[in-house]
Amino acid sequence: MALMIAAILGGGITHLPQALASREIRFSIGLSLMTSSISTAICILLAIPAAYALTRLRIPCRRLVEILLELPLSLPHLILGFALLVMFSSPWGKALRNAGFPVIFSANGVIVAQLAVNLPLAIRLIRTAFSEVDPRLEVIAGTLGASWWKRFLTITLPLSRNAILSAIVLVWSRALGEFGAALMVAGVTRMKTETLPGSIYLNVSAGNNEMALAAASILLFISALSLGLMALLDRSGRHTRIKETDQIW
Amino acid sequence: MVMPAVSVQNFSLTRGNFRLKNISLEIGCRETYAIIGPTGAGKTLLLEAIAGFYQGCGGRVLIDGLPVAETPAEKRRIGFVYQDQGLFPHLTVHRNIGYGLRMRRIPKDEIDARVLRMAELFSISHLLDRYPATLSGGEKQRVALARTMILEPGLLLLDEPFSALDPATKEQMYRELDRVHQVFGCTILFVTHDFSEAMRLADRIGVILNGELQLVSHPDDLLKDSYSPQINAFLGIQGSDDNDRESAVSIIA
Repeated sequence: MALMIAAILGGGITHLPQALASREIRFSIGLSLMTSSISTAICILLAIPAAYALTRLRIPCRRLVEILLELPLSLPHLILGFALLVMFSSPWGKALRNAGFPVIFSANGVIVAQLAVNLPLAIRLIRTAFSEVDPRLEVIAGTLGASWWKRFLTITLPLSRNAILSAIVLVWSRALGEFGAALMVAGVTRMKTETLPGSIYLNVSAGNNEMALAAASILLFISALSLGLMALLDRSGRHTRIKETDQIW
Repeated sequence: MVMPAVSVQNFSLTRGNFRLKNISLEIGCRETYAIIGPTGAGKTLLLEAIAGFYQGCGGRVLIDGLPVAETPAEKRRIGFVYQDQGLFPHLTVHRNIGYGLRMRRIPKDEIDARVLRMAELFSISHLLDRYPATLSGGEKQRVALARTMILEPGLLLLDEPFSALDPATKEQMYRELDRVHQVFGCTILFVTHDFSEAMRLADRIGVILNGELQLVSHPDDLLKDSYSPQINAFLGIQGSDDNDRESAVSIIA
């Protein structure tokens, strides 16, 4: 792994200033940050209620629902992207385009692809976090007069906070690096649907390896930054737990 | 006729493979009532059913004459304290105690004043800024009681409240519960598998075995009457002669 990272950074760092000066690379950084942030926000907003329902509500055929929701995790992203392409090429997809929301070969397609790839993972991560919260605490909050919504807001959510923040960072960094599904749905058109991974692909295709290495280095830096953030969150979570327990012992 | 605080009428409930069968009992206003039984007898399930956590498949539960299943949780005037206290680990003692008041949108100044008063009553004023993980078992139990009693419930339900405490702390908590009963004048229903605890605290005792309420008795009469071999076995009475009863009484005492 260290050799691979060294190979990218070794060739990429020297061309970094040139890459950052390029309008195309700056566009791809901007598009990547924008699409991954939007798709992560939607992803978490959808994953929280879904995970809560899966851990706390009685759902008929729960196992089947879980399998269906998690199936995309084991599918190649290319197939997921192809499925999305078929779906959004249908009359329904065309109606969406006519209504002002084009998906195929547009930046929206990148967001949809990132969402499809990451939603099952986000649901699984948040489901694990919710299932670790003792449901009796919510029952007790209920006996103290908390409504269902207040129980969720004051007990379940704060007790899962660190796990949800870690899920956000992980989903965001995965969205940033998403390529296969996005390629199928949005394609890679210069200065239109060109994300950072798309930029690497285009530059390698054009034989511009220096720029591809520089784009890969940028992606690597952002990933390292998000990993560092995750470690920080984990540390702060542990620190809070230790602070809560070391006041007396 | 005085209305009972709790009236359980032919109540049945199935959870998984376990079934509470046709339970009927009445608990008077301000009475302290213990339900005892071995592990897995259905004590906690009955307590939770009385609190309205589960819908029965037969019969009904009335609290102050109102069907608990049809009364919104916040209007039931029930306090529930679990064996492991169930304190919210992310909130300080102060915020734990004031939780119920915040849910009722009581002004902050009033919450602070009432929390302080309650903390003084339970001798936990020095713990208000601490988190539950830093408290001892007895302290946690006091905080859980303070958090429940701040809402002045008419009915206090306790699920094996003192089972995890050492004998000295247990005795302190018994006195604490007596005081709660005097100060707040509430009806108390608790479940325990500790016979001596039930004898020490309760006005009446119900014995539950395999999901069925087998008998209800005053503590003083519990070991005087004749029961089925199953109940005798639980009560620690080997046979039916007086020597066995006396030895059971002396062990409990």
